Amino acid sequence: MKRIYTIILTAAVLFAGCEEFQPVFTGKYPAPQDQLIYTDADFGKFTPIADVKQMYKDNGNKPYDITKHCVIKGQIITSDQTGNIYKSFYIQDETGGIEIKIGKSGLYNDYKVGQWIYVDCTDLTVGSYEGMLQIGYKDETGEYETAYLEHSAIIDQHVFKGAMAADDELVKPVTIAGNQIYEEKYLGTLVTIEGCKYSNKIFLIGYIDPNIVKESDKKSNWNRFFLDDEDGHNWGITSWAMSESLFKQHVDNGDFDSAVMNDGVTIGERKHLIKPQPYTMNQFFEMPGLSGNRKYLQVRSSGYARWSDVNIPEPVLDGQETVTFTGVLTKFEADMQFTLIDLSGVKKADGTPWYNQ
Amino acid sequence: MIKKVLLFIAAVLCSVSLFAQESDFGGVKGTVVNRAGRAPIADAALTLSQNGKTVIDAVSDADGKFLIENLPNGIYDMTIKAPGFLDATVNVTVEGYVKDLIFVGMVIEQVVTEVDDSNFADFDMDDSGFEDSPSILFDSNDPFTNIASFGFSNIRFKNRGYTSESQDVYLSGIRMNDAITGYSPFSLWSGLNEAMRSKETTVGNEVSDYGYGGYNGVTNIHAMPSNVRTGWRFSALTNSALYRLRLMATYASGELDNGWSYAFNVSARLGGNDWVKGVYYRNFAYYAGVEKKFGDIHRIGLVTFAAPGQRGAQNASTQEVYNMMGDNMYNSNWGYQNGKVRNARVRKTFEPVTILKYTVTPSDNLEATAALLWRTGKNGYTAMDWYDAPDPRPDYYRNLPSYYWMDDPDYGRQNGEKAAWAQYAWEENIPEYAHLNWDRLYNVNWNSYDEVGMRRSKYVIEERRVDQNDIQFNTSIKYSAPRYFTFAGGMTFRWNRTEYYKKLDDLLGGDYYLNIDQFAERDFASSPGMVQNDLDYYLANGYAQVLRKGDKYGYDYYANVFDEKIWGSFAFDFGGFKANLALEGGYNQFWREGLVRKGLFPGLDDNGNEIVVGDKVLTTYDAKGDPITSKGNSEIPDFLTYSAKLGLQYHFNGGHRIYANGAYFNDAPTFSQSFISPRTRNTLVPNLETQKTMSADINYQFSNNGYNVRVTGFWTKIMDQTDMMSFYDDSQNSFTNFAMSGIDQRHMGIELGVQIPLPVQGLSLQGALSWGEYIYTSTPRMTQTVDNSAEVVHDNAQVPYWASHPVYKKYTDDFGAVVYETDADGNYIVEKNQKHYVPSTPQLAADLGLKYRTNSYWFFELHGQYFANSYLDMNPGYRTDLAVNGPDGVFTPVEVEYMAAQEKFDPVFLLNASIGKSWYIDRKYNFGFSMNIQNITNNKWVKTGGYEQTRLIDSESAERFYRFDSKYFYMQGLNYMLNLYFRF
Repeated sequence: MKRIYTIILTAAVLFAGCEEFQPVFTGKYPAPQDQLIYTDADFGKFTPIADVKQMYKDNGNKPYDITKHCVIKGQIITSDQTGNIYKSFYIQDETGGIEIKIGKSGLYNDYKVGQWIYVDCTDLTVGSYEGMLQIGYKDETGEYETAYLEHSAIIDQHVFKGAMAADDELVKPVTIAGNQIYEEKYLGTLVTIEGCKYSNKIFLIGYIDPNIVKESDKKSNWNRFFLDDEDGHNWGITSWAMSESLFKQHVDNGDFDSAVMNDGVTIGERKHLIKPQPYTMNQFFEMPGLSGNRKYLQVRSSGYARWSDVNIPEPVLDGQETVTFTGVLTKFEADMQFTLIDLSGVKKADGTPWYNQ
Repeated sequence: MIKKVLLFIAAVLCSVSLFAQESDFGGVKGTVVNRAGRAPIADAALTLSQNGKTVIDAVSDADGKFLIENLPNGIYDMTIKAPGFLDATVNVTVEGYVKDLIFVGMVIEQVVTEVDDSNFADFDMDDSGFEDSPSILFDSNDPFTNIASFGFSNIRFKNRGYTSESQDVYLSGIRMNDAITGYSPFSLWSGLNEAMRSKETTVGNEVSDYGYGGYNGVTNIHAMPSNVRTGWRFSALTNSALYRLRLMATYASGELDNGWSYAFNVSARLGGNDWVKGVYYRNFAYYAGVEKKFGDIHRIGLVTFAAPGQRGAQNASTQEVYNMMGDNMYNSNWGYQNGKVRNARVRKTFEPVTILKYTVTPSDNLEATAALLWRTGKNGYTAMDWYDAPDPRPDYYRNLPSYYWMDDPDYGRQNGEKAAWAQYAWEENIPEYAHLNWDRLYNVNWNSYDEVGMRRSKYVIEERRVDQNDIQFNTSIKYSAPRYFTFAGGMTFRWNRTEYYKKLDDLLGGDYYLNIDQFAERDFASSPGMVQNDLDYYLANGYAQVLRKGDKYGYDYYANVFDEKIWGSFAFDFGGFKANLALEGGYNQFWREGLVRKGLFPGLDDNGNEIVVGDKVLTTYDAKGDPITSKGNSEIPDFLTYSAKLGLQYHFNGGHRIYANGAYFNDAPTFSQSFISPRTRNTLVPNLETQKTMSADINYQFSNNGYNVRVTGFWTKIMDQTDMMSFYDDSQNSFTNFAMSGIDQRHMGIELGVQIPLPVQGLSLQGALSWGEYIYTSTPRMTQTVDNSAEVVHDNAQVPYWASHPVYKKYTDDFGAVVYETDADGNYIVEKNQKHYVPSTPQLAADLGLKYRTNSYWFFELHGQYFANSYLDMNPGYRTDLAVNGPDGVFTPVEVEYMAAQEKFDPVFLLNASIGKSWYIDRKYNFGFSMNIQNITNNKWVKTGGYEQTRLIDSESAERFYRFDSKYFYMQGLNYMLNLYFRF
């Protein structure tokens, strides 16, 4: 009998040593490990962002696969928290700013505005999206010049988190005006543009429900419509962008009825076919000191942004007051755009915010 | 323990009694034998008693023979006890002569068979929409059940293909099936094997004395202290498939001279296993009971028990993941926290049950009982919850190579390099990618500062609670007329109120979490009222509720059930002929009572006005024009139910018996089947109606001379079933619900059980076969909703490919392409209709074994098993026209055969063995061991179940959809269980 007890006791002691008994005996877990924070010393020499952009130009403005060892050190200047910037962030150093195409949502949880970041560009690609240079993964499908890194194993191999920047190291927006807006060096960086006046003009591409359109018709583009034709006409849209429900409301109200599709049929006749979805709709502002088409600042805002349906302030819509924008200077083909990070980047002329966040 | 056995003795008694001659005294004689092999048992203790009072004791001689004479005529209970054998009780009617019982067979104590719900790994099915409530057969003297009870449990065999709900489980005569779901609640007493050992079972449609039962048998666990085996028993068990260690102690006093009996049983099940990481047990169990007999007539007992504890659950993954990990037992629920394994899915339960039972026996042939049962406590299941942050689950589809690369370009997944990276992360088993990354989750929360410097958690652990309060009052009566007739009947009142809610279990390093619906927030960001999980709180305070650890959130509602039943059975017994008629009637009602007002479904306010937040009207209406409501009482559907059973049987001389049963049931749907989205609203499933079942079986049984054979043919048709499946849809970050109605099934097949003694003493051949066809036979309807949207995706739409799908005539042309043939009109030619089967059980199960027992209490068993015709659970969404025809709405044979098909699992052969030995010391102490080795060939490719995911993949051509990969559960490879016990 004694032997049996000894065996049982010995077995119990042995089991207690097993990993699986951690929650069994204590019900508790050890304190989690702090995340790894990298420092300059882990990398050595850094390549300026401007040099990486130059690689693209030196390659005949074609996507360039970076094969030699190349590490950028930059500070994160954007957040995807409100959803206008999505699946990526911009980093900036003394020489410029560039978008890193990470490819996950909710990035602001792991990558904070004001955090130093080290991007090991080795085996990554620098490419352009309609004129904006980006760092991403090689797009094997050839659809775009770069692809998202997307998988954590790829991201962790190339993107390393550093410390939060000290207050005096924080990137501050540069105020630019007039033709400065067309200077390449500001692309992808944090800028402030003062005195912008609402121009009562919008741009939107809408679609017929793609599930209803026959394959043969998809190529003919009849299924699209544009709301951009008239200056001084915002189609009743007074919000920064449009969520699915707001878009539907506009369609139901008949606001877009008179718009004509590529095949000449009006939206009014095709209302039931329109697919409500969150639309990227851009409002236009006029910048002081510029004229003609160059005066327009297209404010890029996504229908997925949390503030998509927020209205532009009444006095701004009326043209009585102007807006001082802070955000990232971007471009789409030849047109300069301006990407809002969130509505805290929309301020009055006196520098006070239009919106209480 | 007492085990009612020996049908062949009953048969003998019946036949002999016909020739009885009249006298006031008689007797009884016979030989006590080991049923397997008929070796005589010497020194067996026999006790004859009447109404619990011992009349006379006797002992069998060296040849096992006994003779008891000069007994007054009457009915006696004869209890036979012998070390190493199960106690047996035989009813003896003394009728004026010395009745020869010939053989009184005893069954060697089954030390291996330890069946309870802890034999089943707790598969994590909560987010899948499917159920995995095990149906557990108990060992009995039925030759089929005897094998199937333990031998088929690993493959998750479902008796005759029936679900767990159809299996009636009674405790002390009270039906214990869950009031909300109907499941048999074995988990309530798992770990209390000793206290719950004494039980009676019936098979199929048979009527029992203690309850009406359904079409899938009745098990009644006596659970009273006087039924627990007298004495002390200690056991230590270790096994490699579930938990490392089980320790158990039991004591029962038996009935003392003063009429008291008491018993207790405690156990602990601890540790993990060799096969599935992250699964662990920290389970305890207790049972305490006391019973007092007053004179010969009254008996009152009080029992309380519970099985408190925690157990880590296992999750299903896709084959792609299993292949990359090289392990079909991979479990995605756990990850490392600072190097230690932590499981995110833990079942935490503490559900005490208390029973007060009164039995009155005013005369020999009349017994009545009244019992009160109360079940309460908590049942929780933890899970990850997250807000506006990447999906933390390692096997989230975007983390897999298949998300980046599919050979078919129509998937639009042609990123080979990324696929290679993903594959590398898995195949190298890099902990951050192949498992949950707890350290990262904590770091996210630690750094998630809001404007005022508080940390808002992005990842938390929620606990989904199902807290029951169940009260049942039950009365029963049994009257046996001196001749021919027996009547049994009873009444049950049941009241159940179960609260469903979520509780914040762990903030994972953050300070708070918010009570909002994040998916609603994505769609209705500009309407803060709509995103509230608790709109009333928001309206009162102007902000969403801030949650701390332990707070309720998400949803909170009561499921209320009232159930009343009355039943009676009448048996007529004449000679070898016996007829049974049983009837049951019931009244059932249930309703949902929402305790919080959800912003998406606010309904009307207390004054009947629409709810307006800001300038937005939040109140929405259903198709009938009624407001969709989350708070307050739902409609109260009520059902009158009734059913009838008829059984006929005839005993022939020599141990042959033929019997047949027929039954019709008209059952109410359960609460869990009746609401389209119970977490969020009061809306009932359309077309709610009772489920009708017709069932019949015919049986032949032979038991004599150690032979025991049963052959059964059964046929069951189940009609108008409703079902509610709720899947976690990661594209919506919410649950999507499929409420189905009008599901018909047909189950038919044969069942065979044999025990044949072989010429070598102690050696017998055993076999079991269950071969059936369990199919769907109707085109059901389905309503699909999403928890965080008022939109109805499918509104009472047909599911045309549910019961079958057409297979078309085709050939392969010279270039290897498949060409579908058409007739003169250009229509595709249907070759056959492929039936769809009731899933998750082998429809063919066979076992053949040898059992060898020596008179020195060694036993050896070896079983070969074959299982086939097992199918995967179907997702109704894949059987709709929408999914089959694709986005272009154009039907093609390729799409039908791809989308509607049901997966059939590969057949499997398994080999199991067991060995054991008992030692007796001074005939008082009993020490022994048993060892059971399952799956000796270490087959790691045996699918036991799984489910189809609910999502569709768009194609590049926009002509068709593709499926997401199915998820599977596998059986463990080679595993053992060793049990040591000591008894006195």
